[in-house]
Amino acid sequence: MIIASSDQVSRATLFKRFPVPRNFGIARDSRIGPGKRWPAPAGAIRTKSFEIYRYDPDTPENPRVDTFEVDLDDSGPMVLDALIWIKNKVDPTLTFRRSCREGVCGSCAMNMDGTNWLACTRFISDLSTPATIYPLTNMRIIKDLVPDQTHLFAQYEMIQPWLQSETPDPEGERLQSSAERSRLDGYYECILCFCCTSGCPSHWWNGDRFLGPAALLQAERWLADSRDEATEERLDLLEDPFRLYRCHTILNCTRTCPKGLNPGKAIAEIKKLVVERRS
Amino acid sequence: MEHRNTQSPLARAIGLGSAKEGSGHWWAERVSAIALVPLTLWLAAALIAHTGSSHAAFIAWLKTPYVTALMILLLIAAFHHTALGLQVVIEDYLHTWKKFTAMIAVRLGCVALAVVGIIATLQIAFAG
Ligand code: SF4
Ligand code: SF4
Ligand code: FES
Repeated sequence: MIIASSDQVSRATLFKRFPVPRNFGIARDSRIGPGKRWPAPAGAIRTKSFEIYRYDPDTPENPRVDTFEVDLDDSGPMVLDALIWIKNKVDPTLTFRRSCREGVCGSCAMNMDGTNWLACTRFISDLSTPATIYPLTNMRIIKDLVPDQTHLFAQYEMIQPWLQSETPDPEGERLQSSAERSRLDGYYECILCFCCTSGCPSHWWNGDRFLGPAALLQAERWLADSRDEATEERLDLLEDPFRLYRCHTILNCTRTCPKGLNPGKAIAEIKKLVVERRS
Repeated sequence: MEHRNTQSPLARAIGLGSAKEGSGHWWAERVSAIALVPLTLWLAAALIAHTGSSHAAFIAWLKTPYVTALMILLLIAAFHHTALGLQVVIEDYLHTWKKFTAMIAVRLGCVALAVVGIIATLQIAFAG
């Protein structure tokens, strides 16, 4: 299947999860134990069950998966609405990040039915029953659905995501033609939710050194900016077998980006620039 | 986090810094792949064309100068591409000393196999 963007939910999924036992190859203290069942409130008519990953750092217990029955007539239509409903009506300790509830802040990224996406832009009706809700993969979990993104933001900081220019500041704005401005399309929309980096197999194996799709898409965003004068340093910083070339164009990133962007293509553009400047 | 690390997150992300190389490898991978497309097709077609022909006829074919040349080019492209490709697999999945050991073994192995193949081809070409 040729991947253009991730705007739609895949029509057919062969396996909801890879067919190995749930705790296969998992470190002892990360193994998922049996969770609690939280029944729907009395009188609820249309309900749906959600299996949600829980981890409480304040107890010595292992993570678990709780099952919540959500009253669909009392909750909004999005997965984030269901989570807020659970927090308000059933279990106030359920912990997750959210802010804008309209897909622009990137806080509510999580793994729903095996796919990374934003909880606030995913319809509950898109998910199977029971719906499985996990935090983003490949990160240390702080609590429940909240992963530690320190390293990802450090990698983002490393690509120097700001305009760099030696030319003295102009009187007014730095001008850009509309053609130059349009070269930022497909990059400036990135909300740094890290759905892509969390889903990238190369970042699973070598995330300590590989920058991952989110940081690399941002790197390309500054390379593509006509006002920036640091292209040379930027390319020096990126050209590295691990930082850049661990990307093997598997395109999991493009498949999962909830903003419909194409980090895989952005990375290919960087690779092209690096070859271009030496030949 | 397995052990306490007092480095800042940025220092950890920077690590040893950029190698400032990698494009050579990437480019060589594409170029050798492009060379391999016609060469492998040619070899496959030639082998199919020779099904049923005698050993002597095959040797005579291999002695033709252009066949010898293409054969050697194929050996160089194939083993160069193999070495580059296996290096990527090793870098992906092996770490610490295992990575360096495997890398050396693959490099030397590919050079050795290419040399053996080329000498065999030349010997057939120039033997009486
Ligand atoms: S295309 Fe590259 S960055 Fe995207 S998922 Fe694949 S390896 Fe990761
Ligand atoms: S490229 Fe898409 S998935 Fe990746 S961080 Fe940006 S918005 Fe999120
Ligand atoms: S809450 Fe802001 S992106 Fe979902």
